Amino acid sequence: MTFPTLDPLLHSELRLAIMSILLSVEEADFNYLRDKTGATSGNISVQIDKLSEAGYIQVEKGFAGKRTRTVCKITQKGAAAFEAYVEALKGYLNL
Amino acid sequence: MEEKNLNEKESLELISRMIRNTQRKFEKEHAVPYLVFGYLTVLVAIVVWYLLSTTRNQQWNLLWLLIPIVGSVILYFANRNSQREVQTFVDRAVSYVWIVCGVTVFVASFVPTFYVAMPILFLVALIISMGTTLTGGITRMRLLTVSGSIGMAAAFFLLSVKGPESILFFAAIFLVTMVIPGHILYAKGRKK
Repeated sequence: MTFPTLDPLLHSELRLAIMSILLSVEEADFNYLRDKTGATSGNISVQIDKLSEAGYIQVEKGFAGKRTRTVCKITQKGAAAFEAYVEALKGYLNL
Repeated sequence: MEEKNLNEKESLELISRMIRNTQRKFEKEHAVPYLVFGYLTVLVAIVVWYLLSTTRNQQWNLLWLLIPIVGSVILYFANRNSQREVQTFVDRAVSYVWIVCGVTVFVASFVPTFYVAMPILFLVALIISMGTTLTGGITRMRLLTVSGSIGMAAAFFLLSVKGPESILFFAAIFLVTMVIPGHILYAKGRKK
């Protein structure tokens, strides 16, 4: 039996956590993602960039008052990739 | 949390945990629109009732416009510095309910003036109570479902109340449908 390949972009704890959160909500800002994952700002920033470059998430930078605000949303490509990843996981676990 | 590879079981557990963590509990900020528009409506209703009862001048009905104008300004300043970190489908659904209710009430309020006489207090009370009931259903907050349903029933009863006293009954509906639930929800949000 051949096992499907797990998407290396999603097969990482923090990126998977970010994608799981964004799948559940319509949009989340940087602070929310950082608080929910417990990761450092620098680490979150790096992973958001990777997911954005892959087209899995959409990042919008703006302002809330005088502060910058980064809002992330999952894209259709990202949602499809996540779904494929979960299906692949199920295959590994025989679910 | 680090950039490390997980095994398959750990991946599924992480996904479940993150999704569970996004379930939003009620926050006290959600109660603010109920309190703002609830109190504004009650206050304006009492003032309009008093002025209509004493002067019989229908021009005082223009004071109703204070509700959307002042309410919107208050909410704008209340929300200006608060940062919403996340928006869920539920948030969007509730926003749409209130946009539709608000616009409908605003437009409908001009109908008796320019088109045809109609029981506008009944219509406004019914629509706003429907909004509260729908919000309760979407967010699974029984308090809102119950208070909204009471408001809807009371709106039909309002049809049998004649004269300026109907305005007081209208105010009472908003007390039950918005002010009281708003206080309860605010208190719950603070406890969190």
